[in-house]
Amino acid sequence: MSRRHSVNRPPTPDVQDDDDDRAKEPTLVEIVNIKLIESGEKERLMELVRERLVECGWKDEMRALCRAFIKKNGRDNVTVDDLVRAITPKGRASIPDSVKAELLQKIRTFLVSVAY
Amino acid sequence: MSQQCYEHCIVLYCDQFDRDLLFLGLDLQILSDIFEDLLDSIIVDVASESHRIARLGLDRNLDEEEEELRLSAEARARASNPSHSGETNGKYVVDILGQTHPAIANEIFECMNCGRSIMAGRFAPHLEKCMGKGRKARLKSTRSTTAAQNRYSRGSPLSSQSRFSNSTTINRLSNGSSGIAGHEYSNGKLEEL
Repeated sequence: MSRRHSVNRPPTPDVQDDDDDRAKEPTLVEIVNIKLIESGEKERLMELVRERLVECGWKDEMRALCRAFIKKNGRDNVTVDDLVRAITPKGRASIPDSVKAELLQKIRTFLVSVAY
Repeated sequence: MSQQCYEHCIVLYCDQFDRDLLFLGLDLQILSDIFEDLLDSIIVDVASESHRIARLGLDRNLDEEEEELRLSAEARARASNPSHSGETNGKYVVDILGQTHPAIANEIFECMNCGRSIMAGRFAPHLEKCMGKGRKARLKSTRSTTAAQNRYSRGSPLSSQSRFSNSTTINRLSNGSSGIAGHEYSNGKLEEL
C-alpha cells in the first residue's frame, strides 16, 4: 500500500562538501568564546567591565560623544551602526589602563582554568 | 591596542601565566581578541542606549538652542504673571482647581456654646477657652457669667441651674483660686492636688 505524505515537502538539500570543509573547523577564538559563554564567565566579565567603565566616567564620555554626533547629524537620521562607528575608535582608546589590566588578567585566569 | 600597553600589562602578571599560555599554544592575540570583542559589545550597548533615548525624545537637552528658548520663555512668563506660579506666592496657595485660599479661614459664624461671633479659623482655640480644656473653674465661670446672661435674656428654663452654679463660682472666686485644679471642700478651701 502506498502512503501519501500528509505534507508535501521538497527534498532535503544535501550538505555541500566544500562548505562543510570550510565551516567545520572553529577557530581558537571561537572555541574560547563558546567556553566563556557556556561557563557564564563572559556575562560576569561584561558586568564587571560595565561597572568599572561607569565608575571611571568612560560611559558618560561615550554618551556625550553620541549626543554630539546626534545633534550634528539630526536626531532622526542616525542609526545605531552610525553611532557605533563614530564612537568605537575613541572608545577603544580611552579605556583606562587599570580596567584593561584587570580584564586581561581575568581572561587569562579563565583561559588557564579552562584548558586543564 | 598598542604593543607597549600589552607589555605593560604583562609585567603585572606572574610568569606562570605566560608559560601556561605558551604551553597551550595561545598567544596574546587571543587575549586581545577576546578583550576587543567584550569591549565592542559594551560599545554597542552604549550606542544603542543613546540612540534609543535620542529617538524617543527622552533627552531633554539634546537641542540646546531649543532648551534655551524654552527656559527663557518660562522665565519671562513667570516674571510677567505673578499669580501664575503656585506655592511660593505670598500667602495665597493655588490648588489644582485654580482656587486660592487665605491662610486663615475667614467665614464668621456663631459659637453654639457662648453665642459669640467667631471666625472659622479661630474657632478651635476659641472652643478651648470657651469649653475649658478640662478645667472646671474656667468652665463654670464662663457658664455662669456669659452663658447665664444669654440664657436669662433668652428666657431659658435652665435658669435655676445657672443660679446654683453662680453661687459655687462666687465661692471659688473669693478664694482667688481660679485656674488651679483641685477639690473644693465645704469650708471653701481649695486643696491643690
